[in-house]
Amino acid sequence: MKAVEEAIRSDAPPTRVVVVEDDQASADVLQRRLQANGMVVSVAHDGQRGIALVEELLPDLVLLDVMLPDTDGYDVCLRIKSNSSTAPIPVIFLSARGEVVDKVRGLSCGAADYITKPFQAAELLARIDAVLGQARNPRVPRLVRTVDRSGGARLRARVAIGDSALAGHVERLLGSRFDIADGSEAPDVLIVEGNAPVPADAPEDASVIRVTGGRASDDRPEIVPVDAQLPRIVDLVVREERLDQDLSAAAEALIVLAAAVASHDRPSQGHSERVAARAVQIGRALGLDESTRMTIRLGALLKDVGNARLPAALLAKQGELTPDERAMLERHPILGEELLGGFNRLSGLLPIVRHHHERLDGTGYPDGLRAELIPLEVRIVTVADRFEALLTDRPDRPGVSEAEAVRILQGAVARGELDAAVVAALATQIRSNGGQQP
Amino acid sequence: MNARNRRVTTKVVAAHEADAERRHEHRFQVSESVARLVMRTTANNLPLSRDDRPYQWSTTTYCDTVAWSIYRSAQRGSAMQLRIREYHRTRPRQVLGPGTAWIEFKDDEEDTSLKERYGVPMESARSFLRSEPAISDLNHGLAERAGRLLKDGARPVCVTQYNRLAYSSLDSSVRITADHNLMYFALPWETTDEDDPSPLGSLLAMEPDVIVEMKWYSDLPHWAVDLHQYLKENTKEERPSKFIVAMRHLLGENGAARK
Repeated sequence: MKAVEEAIRSDAPPTRVVVVEDDQASADVLQRRLQANGMVVSVAHDGQRGIALVEELLPDLVLLDVMLPDTDGYDVCLRIKSNSSTAPIPVIFLSARGEVVDKVRGLSCGAADYITKPFQAAELLARIDAVLGQARNPRVPRLVRTVDRSGGARLRARVAIGDSALAGHVERLLGSRFDIADGSEAPDVLIVEGNAPVPADAPEDASVIRVTGGRASDDRPEIVPVDAQLPRIVDLVVREERLDQDLSAAAEALIVLAAAVASHDRPSQGHSERVAARAVQIGRALGLDESTRMTIRLGALLKDVGNARLPAALLAKQGELTPDERAMLERHPILGEELLGGFNRLSGLLPIVRHHHERLDGTGYPDGLRAELIPLEVRIVTVADRFEALLTDRPDRPGVSEAEAVRILQGAVARGELDAAVVAALATQIRSNGGQQP
Repeated sequence: MNARNRRVTTKVVAAHEADAERRHEHRFQVSESVARLVMRTTANNLPLSRDDRPYQWSTTTYCDTVAWSIYRSAQRGSAMQLRIREYHRTRPRQVLGPGTAWIEFKDDEEDTSLKERYGVPMESARSFLRSEPAISDLNHGLAERAGRLLKDGARPVCVTQYNRLAYSSLDSSVRITADHNLMYFALPWETTDEDDPSPLGSLLAMEPDVIVEMKWYSDLPHWAVDLHQYLKENTKEERPSKFIVAMRHLLGENGAARK
């Protein structure tokens, strides 16, 4: 009851509970008991409605009966725990089945607790408090894999200060957060004193921080005093500048190139945006992180940029292409890679641009890569591209429904062209959206 | 899209288990109540399997080629399955994670099977999947055939997870299992350099019922003959292997699959 008392005292939002219980009388008693203790309770009387309610409300807690009319509680629990948006919600089983095997099975499905009926209300509320307390204070798992985040890697600093005592002090301060570069290594950031000139061999894209051994001056706020705050300030400045560079380079490229493609490739206007949105959805369903999804989105937007270097008449041609025309058209991934190759910040997108027409069985173009050499990000964009193309009316055929497009892609999976798991993720999305019919 | 290169350079000696001869293997899809009765009778006649903690999660990762050659052979009634098995107390959301992996080779025919398996650290199992010689004494019989599949490009493609309750006679002549909460997952195609655990792909399907399997070498004891008959009379469907069911869901060849 501690959680409830806290909620009432602090005006915190009340605990929201979904009860999945097929017995009307039991559900009523439970609902009134929980409401009397300040909780907001929603009730479902079968598993299917229970899952729908949990997905809609995203409650703080689910109380789940094992025996339900349409399925069993284990099935419901596993579905809750298999959906990334509902997986963190704690589930407590309430069941008349009290054998050890039942409890083991319930807990192994991911439930936080298993309470056998009949139960005392005080015990139920105490267990709810304990489970909610744990859910609100998640401990970091002990065996978390170290994630390689290029954005979080240590930056390299070079201290270009003539005064050796001050230079040594700065190096000691920065050493906790930066790798100190010697003369042979390109630094991410240069530290120079006051108005001293930047060394001639400094890389153009390195950030420059000016420091002083004295106090900060209101007249020259850009000159940073050498004290304990220096590493934090340098880190912030460098990362902010890098972010700006990344964003501006990407945005500039996108605006220029996407506009060029759109004006050159009228028949497919809007296609890249739809492919990008679809590919990001698939990436999310496969649990890819935000940075990877951003790469996928930009790659999908720019994958056909090479079309800008093909004759407009070829792109607009209706009817069958000659072998020469087809060969020319199939060069667009290479042309796209050449176009974007000049943008260092977009190098991560190049595999998508070059390989989005490759097939797992090696029959794609331009390089005939086989499955193990095609990155997942590319395979996702390939599936999204083919799916969106199937939905669109073309001169030689009408567009098909989403459900039919999935069936066609599954055929391509069976022939060894596409990644089955990527198509399965797409199929799951389409099914859960009701699969638009023709 | 960075490739990682961590390689096992020393060979490990694997824990080895193998069937003495081909075993009969029948699978039944039954309701929860029928399964309870069956397992109660089984518990009166067989001890709990020493190797299987009751209701632990079994996670099995199946391999196949881009052309689905293993699945197509299995559909024709005879195939060599290549799979990696992991055991956990609670359901993991990734596969091929750190710990012990069992590399399993299973030669399925219509009514019988022959199984061989090797327990090794997961990093050795991953090296094996890359066709690197990471495990000693793994170059004969079923293992040699599996090695050829890997050279043909077989890779992990789908996963099953379930809670298993297993009973087995001390001489392993009869084994009866009940698999609850059976779930089928897709697994994105791996590039050869990846060495980290693989997150599960989409949930393809969940079995609404319990899968009871009976395996035996030559003759069933009298009580088990009766039990087999009871299962035949109360089964909703005699089942193909989990691998075939998983692949049907993966390739959309399952008709009206329940999701």
